[in-house]
Parts: sequence; structure tokens; C-alpha cells
Amino acid sequence: MSMLVEMVGINKSFGATRVLSDVRFSLERGSVHALMGENGAGKSTLMRILAGVYQPTTGSVRLRGEDVSFKSPKEARLAGVSTVFQEFTLIPNLTVAENMFLGHEPRRKDGSIDSAEVVRRSRELLADVFPQLDATAIVDTLTVAQQQAVEIAKGLTSNADIFIFDEPTAALNSTDVAHLFKVIRDLKAQGKAVVYISHRMNEVFELCDVITVMKDGGWVKTAKAEDFNLHSLVATMVGRELQNFFPPRSQETGEPMLEVSGLKLHDGGASVAFSVRKGEIIGLAGLEGQGQREIMRSVVGVETARAVTVRRRAGGSAMSAVNVTSGFPNAIAAGIGFIPEDRKQEGLFLRLPIYDNIALGKQLNRNMASVAWRSVSKVREIIKSLRVAAADPGAPVGKLSGGNQQKVLLGRWLLSGVDILVIEEPTRGVDVGAKAEIYRLLRDFSDRGGAVIVSSREHAELIGLCDNILVVHDRKIVGQMPAADATEESILGTALGSSSAEDPRAVVH
Amino acid sequence: MTTSETKHETPPRALNARRAVSWVLGLPPAYYVLAILIAVAPLVSATLINPNYWFVILKQSAPLGIAVLAQSLVMRVRSIDLSVSGVFAFAIYFASSGFLKNYPPYVTVLMPIVVGLAVGLVNGVLVAYVRASAVISTLSVSAILIGVVQYMSAGRAPGSTPSWLRVLTNGNIHGLSYSVIVWLGVTVLVSLAFRYLIVGRYFRAVGDNPRAAETTGIPLARTIFVSHTLAGFLTGIAALVQVSALAVGTIKPGFDTFMNALAATILGGVTFGVDRGGVAGPFVAVVAFSFLFAMLTVFGIQEPGKLIVQGGIIALAAIIYGARTGRV
Repeated sequence: MSMLVEMVGINKSFGATRVLSDVRFSLERGSVHALMGENGAGKSTLMRILAGVYQPTTGSVRLRGEDVSFKSPKEARLAGVSTVFQEFTLIPNLTVAENMFLGHEPRRKDGSIDSAEVVRRSRELLADVFPQLDATAIVDTLTVAQQQAVEIAKGLTSNADIFIFDEPTAALNSTDVAHLFKVIRDLKAQGKAVVYISHRMNEVFELCDVITVMKDGGWVKTAKAEDFNLHSLVATMVGRELQNFFPPRSQETGEPMLEVSGLKLHDGGASVAFSVRKGEIIGLAGLEGQGQREIMRSVVGVETARAVTVRRRAGGSAMSAVNVTSGFPNAIAAGIGFIPEDRKQEGLFLRLPIYDNIALGKQLNRNMASVAWRSVSKVREIIKSLRVAAADPGAPVGKLSGGNQQKVLLGRWLLSGVDILVIEEPTRGVDVGAKAEIYRLLRDFSDRGGAVIVSSREHAELIGLCDNILVVHDRKIVGQMPAADATEESILGTALGSSSAEDPRAVVH
Repeated sequence: MTTSETKHETPPRALNARRAVSWVLGLPPAYYVLAILIAVAPLVSATLINPNYWFVILKQSAPLGIAVLAQSLVMRVRSIDLSVSGVFAFAIYFASSGFLKNYPPYVTVLMPIVVGLAVGLVNGVLVAYVRASAVISTLSVSAILIGVVQYMSAGRAPGSTPSWLRVLTNGNIHGLSYSVIVWLGVTVLVSLAFRYLIVGRYFRAVGDNPRAAETTGIPLARTIFVSHTLAGFLTGIAALVQVSALAVGTIKPGFDTFMNALAATILGGVTFGVDRGGVAGPFVAVVAFSFLFAMLTVFGIQEPGKLIVQGGIIALAAIIYGARTGRV
């Protein structure tokens, strides 16, 4: 096979900071190449050089055997490099077709845009790859997966033969992931080359032919995927053996901390009931979109269920009711915290300092006219104990990596002193090293007498982290199992075994 | 990998000089405008650099200054209050029409504040709880107030404002008008509240990300309601100061009041949800604005010309902010 891309001796510095040193990377036609490494390893920077966003300080980039030096992303795109970023670059109020040809629309003789031609050519291109995608649909009305399809289709319009996918599956459910994989395999079959960046190990092993590992801005290893296994790959990425990826489970759990009963998500639906013990982490598992999210949010009152009764232990052995139907502040007052899946949109104030984001924990449920004491030392203590990698608590939280942002949210609730934590997708967008830290922090929280409810799309994560797993299907709990005995198969089996056959999602890809 | 991480990779600005430069570049446009005006002033007219003249400018700026402070409150939580003109019109008409002659003086003093507060409450309910569009609901509240004034006055100019009230503008301590002292006092109070009270934290959080604020447990609707109510209260004070500055009542209180307020707020570094300018930014902007108008008057430029310049400045402020956000 011929080399499509060869990057040799790539160095890149921003001012005095060197972010890439002597990195090599090559890409063959008809292959899927995984680029792995922790956050900050330099994967994105390397790909941005290939995509023309940055220019290397030294080093050469060869495309189809010729030296190239892209001055802008547009040049790279015209040369056949298409990038699908995790955050899309689509214009929401334009149609699919308009987005696909944005910036290089076919023109009529008088210079005006030939709209009919735009639609016609879009349909032609979409027919091969995404036949179900309507070229005239407004992008804003599409699902995340469909928007991603548009993003990929944009690359097709410029007849790209190199596709860079930067964490494409972060926001997709399993059905959409399966479709994306099919598209990537089709691209591969057409002799195109794909660079795939993801933190999800199973995807990498399922999809990729070659794996390149980077660490701290340097190249570490390139080898065929079959020469790695999960353990060796993780070890290469973090540069050390991860002895305890998951912390040990709790030895014994105490009396119930939180009891949820009579939870109805819709009229006439089955009622959901479960409880969490002191020192316990329970996980809500199941196929995507079966009601896990709604159950979690109803328990804390961020969303309102048709009916729900939440009771928590209040000193001694008595349980007291928490009125979550009138909003989340009641749950906070009762010592229950909530961390949403979409940290950037729903959890953090990205432009505000790290300090402010954590200090909010002490400022909730307060009279607006009361004094907000600056508990600087306490916040610093928390930043230190959570090992948030930030020199300056005054820096905006948006500058932190995913793992550190998650720690900031944890810190907020630690400061507020809650002892029950409801957390969605605790490690979404978090790299391997930080994942282990988040798991340890959650386990520390429960070991100190707290209780945790967690949901995750990654069942392996729930199996490793939790004490007990509740399987949710069709907005009810269809099974419960100790996490130590659970496997991904048994969770799926429980979920699907319960469904009354007509559920189309039940077909596992 | 995430985009936040790539930001992580960009170099820390180690050099203090560079940090200072970027700090200066990040200042609200009002500071530049004022600096340029002060630099140019001696060339234009000696009067403009006379300290006494500055006291006059400050005195004339006081009503606008307080109104701008009100506007900046709601803009911090991504809302807007366009009812300033209505409150001013209503307060001026009632104070000068003679309706309140037979009541004790404090009724005349309280009237604008009560009107402002009431309008703020209505705006707050509409925007925060009914979730009506802030632009439309506050503008219609304003239109209703102006309509009421025009109906009651039947198009005739009312009488004069009570002369004893003018002491608020004309009285002074060492040349500094009482109205300016009120303006400064309110500004200091608001900035202290922002710095030290929970309400300041809630405003910042809601301004940065309303959705996150709600999911975090901050009472979103109540925060927006409070901002509108406080803004109404401050607008009332601004109206009182405005009444005291007028000798004769009018039913045309200047349609451009809210335009000026909006322009000064933006120039002062407060755009929707961003409060880079703090409380000082809008203050400087108001001074810069008044100074500019004074200078235009010296040049002999009339109202229409001022309006054009004013529009130009608003556009400029919008462009500067657009360019900045574009770069991020």
C-alpha cells in the first residue's frame, strides 16, 4: 500500500512552550489509523498541522509523496484533507446541502449561487453514504448523529481522501456509532485514509488497523492494532502500568441513604423504585435513551416526573421526605448534588474562574442579599486534594481539560457538603489517566459515608466502578445485579430479555 | 481529544509586559474614547479642560449615569430594559403637572421611585416568569406609559417642576452637585453588592451560562426577576434626578434616553452576559458620552449631528465586540 501522508520530524512550539517534538506519523491508503494518547499528548496539535490550522515550527509534511505546507485549513481541504471535529462547524439555520457546499458553492455564469445545483449535487453525494439524510433539511432540526453525518459529507464535497475524526462518538448513541463505523469502513474500502482519535478503547480495537501512541508531545509507538491489547495500550499511553484502574469496591455498605419510590416518568408508566446505601455506588445501565437520564434527573428534581417520592436518611435511622417536585434547590438543601453529562453546557460557567465555579457550592440556597464569604483557603484545599491541574484558581474553567473540569464540578459539591451524589456519564471526554482519578474520587466520596448514583453509556465503566447495577429498559428497572458478577453481555441480555420484541433498538449491531 | 485541551497547549503569557498590553487591549472601549477626548480637548477649547466645566458635565450626566447602571444590571443577566423612556416621561409629567401639589413633598420625591419600582416588577414578572421577550415586553411597558402621559396631557406641555426639588441638581458640595453624589453613591453601593453579596455571584453565573445556572440549582427566574426589579428601582432614582434637573416639564422626554443608556452600557464593557467593564466601565462610558456631546456642541453640531455620531459609536462598540468574540 502507498503512503498517503508522511509527517517527519514535526516540531511545534507556541512561544516558549514546545508542544510537539520530533513526531512522526504516516498514513496509508485504505486504512484506519488510531491516534492515541492522554489529553495534552499532542494528538490534536498534530492533526491541526495536517489540517492546515497550524504550521509546524520544523519538520516536513508529505502528501502523496510531495512536500506540502498548508497556510490555511482551506488549502488543506482543497488538497483533500477533511476534518470532522467533535464540536461541529455547521451553520444551524442553513440546510444540509447549503452547509455541505458552504464557501465553495457552484456558481451560475453571472456569479450568483446555483441553489438547484447545490441540492442536486448534495443529493448525489449523500445517496452513497447517508441515503436517509434529506439534503433540504435544516441542520438545526437534525439529531447530533445526523449533524455529524453532514460534517462528514462536507468532506465528500471536496473529494477528500484523508478524513480526520476527532472523538466523533462522544455524543452518539450505540445505533449511531454503528452507522458511523459503517461509513468509516466504506471510506476505507474506497481507498481513503482515516485518522481516528478516541478515548474509547473498544472502538479503537474494533475499527482501527494501525495505532500510533503519543505522550507528552512525543511519538511513542506505532504498531498494528492486533499487536496491542487493552492492557498494553493503556500502559503505553500513560507510560506506566495502571495497577488499579478501578478502585476496590466497598467492603460493606451501611443502611439505606436514599430511597426512591413511585417514580413515574409518564402517565400510566411502570413505577420505578430503588435505594442506595451508605458507602455504595450504584449504576444505571441499559441501552441508550431508555430513561436512565430522566430517572436520574427526576430524583434530584432537575426534571419533573409525573410522580416521585424521594426519602433520605436524616440523622439517626429516620428517613425524611425530600420534595424534589418543586425543584433541584430542595434536593441540594437535603444534601443531594447533581453533575450533568454535558459539563460545558449545563454544569460549568466556562468564562468564570475555577475559584468561582467551585465556590458556588457554598452559595446555593442562600438569600440573595446575604454576604458571599470568600472561602479562598477551603477552595484551594479542594483544588489541591482533587489534584486539579491548574496553577491559578483565577483562570477560566473553560481552559481546563475534560478531566479537570469534571474535578471542578466534584469540588463544587464537596465544598457544599452533600453526601449523596447523582452523576451522569462521569468520564465523558475524559482521558484514560484522569478517568482512573475520577473513579478513585467517587469511591473516596462513598467510602467517607456518601452514596453515589451514576449512569454511563460505557458498561465496562459501570461494571468496574459500581457496587450494584440497575438495568433500565423502557423507562423501568428490569434487573439488578452486583457489579462484580455483571458482564456487558449480562447487562444487555437483561435489558433485551425484558423487552417485548417490537423494540427496534433491540437488534444489537 | 477536546478543544479545551488545545487551549491548554497554548503558551502561558509569561511576560508581564505582554500581560499588561493584553489587559489594556481588553479594556472596554469607553476608556479609549474618554482618553482620546481628553487628549483632544485642549486643542478644541480651553473651556473643556476647566474643572468647573467638568462638574457641569458630571451634573448633566447624572440621570443618564444612574439609568445606565440600571441597564447594566439587566444586561448582566442577558436581559434588556427598554422602559427607561417611559419611566422618565411618566415621572416628569406627574412631577410637573401639579397633581401632587396638595400632597407633602416626600410624595413628589417618592413618586418616580415608586413608578420605577412598579415598572421593574412588571418587567421582572413578564421576562422571568412569563418568559416573554425582554425587548418586546419592556418596550411595550414603555409605550403604555408614554401613551398614558400623552393622553392625560392632551399634547400640552405641563407646568414647571417644583422649585424646591431642583436643589438636588443645583445644590452642591464644593462644586459637586448632589445629583452627582447620588450617582456616585448608587454606583458604589451596586459595586459593593456585586463584590460581596450572593446576588453578585448569581448574576455572574446566570450571565455566563443561564442553563448551567439552572442545573446547578441557582434560581434562574428569581435572579432575572430581581435584576429587573433592582433596575426599575434605579431607573426611578434616575427619573427623580432627571426631574430635578428640569425647570419646565415636558411631554417629550427624549426618545433617545434608552438609546443613550444602551450605547453607554455597551461602550462601558457590559454586553449581554459579559461584565468585563464591571461597574466602573459604564460610569466611564457615561462621562465619555457627555463629554463628547459637550465637544460637539462646541463645534456647533446640532441634535441631528449628535444623533448620527451617537449611532456611529453604538455601531463601533458592536463592531469592536464582534471582532473580539470572533477571535476567541
